[in-house]
Amino acid sequence: MIELAHVSKRFGSEIAVNDISLRIPKGKFCALVGTSGCGKSTTLRMINRLIAHSEGEIILDGASIETYDPVKLRRRIGYVIQHTGLFPHWSVARNIGLVPRLLKWPSIDVQARVEELMQLLGLPVEEFGHKYPHQLSGGQAQRVGVARALAANPDIMLMDEPFGALDPITREKLQDELAKLQARMHKTIVFVTHDMDEALKLADHLVVMRDGRIVQQGSPLALLKHPADPFVESLLGGLERGLKQAALTRVKDHMNSLGSALPAQSRIPADFSLRQALSMMLRDHSDRLTVVDQHDVPVGELSLRKIVKEAHLDKGNSRE
Amino acid sequence: MSNSLWRWPLLWISLLLISVVGMSAAEPLFHWVEPDARQVIYSRADFYVLLGRHLFVVGIAALVTISIGVSAGIAVTRKRGSDFLPLVGQVASLGQTFPPVAVLALAVPVLGFGTLPIIVALMLYGLLPIVRNTLTGLQEVDAELITAAHAMGMTPLQILRQVELPLAAPVILAGIRTSVTINIATAALGATVGASNLGDPIISGIVNGNMAYVVQGALTIALLALSVDSLFEVLQRQLRSRLSAS
Repeated sequence: MIELAHVSKRFGSEIAVNDISLRIPKGKFCALVGTSGCGKSTTLRMINRLIAHSEGEIILDGASIETYDPVKLRRRIGYVIQHTGLFPHWSVARNIGLVPRLLKWPSIDVQARVEELMQLLGLPVEEFGHKYPHQLSGGQAQRVGVARALAANPDIMLMDEPFGALDPITREKLQDELAKLQARMHKTIVFVTHDMDEALKLADHLVVMRDGRIVQQGSPLALLKHPADPFVESLLGGLERGLKQAALTRVKDHMNSLGSALPAQSRIPADFSLRQALSMMLRDHSDRLTVVDQHDVPVGELSLRKIVKEAHLDKGNSRE
Repeated sequence: MSNSLWRWPLLWISLLLISVVGMSAAEPLFHWVEPDARQVIYSRADFYVLLGRHLFVVGIAALVTISIGVSAGIAVTRKRGSDFLPLVGQVASLGQTFPPVAVLALAVPVLGFGTLPIIVALMLYGLLPIVRNTLTGLQEVDAELITAAHAMGMTPLQILRQVELPLAAPVILAGIRTSVTINIATAALGATVGASNLGDPIISGIVNGNMAYVVQGALTIALLALSVDSLFEVLQRQLRSRLSAS
């Protein structure tokens, strides 16, 4: 668990982070969102002591981070940055094995761990192990960055706009992979981004920052339903908010059981989002969809009226 | 592949050795250069002895300059030494604006005649390229890489040895190459203050009006400079291919 209590950071007379308090329970994914210069990256870097905080207390697993040796602290916290920070003069395998080597793992264990991680991230050792970072595409390099951060199996991962420099398609793919990894590994993740869609998609807990302060924090759905002020609302997409909320809600949570009426022509898998359902209705000029399971067997139906009605009810139960 | 890499050093070193060992074989040629002189091959000392002394002076100066220059460059790019960064840059520049002849003139009264004054002059003269390139090389290492290295839990010493120096090495080596190559030529001045080396035939040729001596000294020094320079070229290429990324 990570806890920040009334933490501030001053650079000279300027306040970069102003009295923020934040709790990130073990195994949760917390996204810090805000425009550039809002102090989100500074907050992240205070957690692994790359930047020393000026006031307040940062507590990690029950002890103030100041009681840890900074070098040892950093070796147990994974860190991923936008431009990967891979060492250009080291092979991919050597880059990934860095922290285990710093921790003096036996070299056979380091090698096994590197191979395991490369397999996990879809970069076969035989093909990529001996390559150098400049020989990789942006997405591959960032996968190596993630593998390097995971190498010593840290409980905590800090990620500073890791997918910010990637093209939209690669970015989405890596977001999906990260979500899958997190579902398996349950790391405590602090993730900095200015991309609200990315944050909504990945986070359990959303923290919106502005001018060094936390404006609002809570679950993605809670923020979408009740943005604290116009700034948060505009970050959440203003008029698009409804669709974003729909994107976080599964079809299966809102479907009716199959009625006696003739099933609708259009079919949608149950684990798709309401947003995708709405899109399909618009495309097919239909106000009803048949919901199917993974074997394409109808399990229920979804009507436009029901979606519209339930958007008003605070009933969405996904991820809250 | 490796054959073509070593082609130039092998050529220059062979020519150097031939000229050092077989200078007297070219006597007819030098008679043609200096028909009036009784003796046309410099013979007060063997050329290989002069070559050895020349290499010794340049080598000692290079060792000292490299250790001082690189350490100074490292020291002032650390957090604690950053106050001295402008000072070190200026002192190194000053060393090179001082003509070596002037350094010799000032050093002889203090250090006496012989090899020591020329080593001091070469050190001062050769310091700038090394300090300047060490500074540039270290400062050009991407700050984000260093942050990442810190964030991974590397100690400052590990970062210096495993990240900064390897990445700066090609630039530092280029500085050493410039410094050493210039000093091979400059070392000839040592002959004016009694340090016997490949400058001897040149000075003696000028004093006695014997162009043949001058040509012999100059030729050997030029071949030595080309040999050493081409060796550095090989070293740089090998370094670059190992750091294929940067």
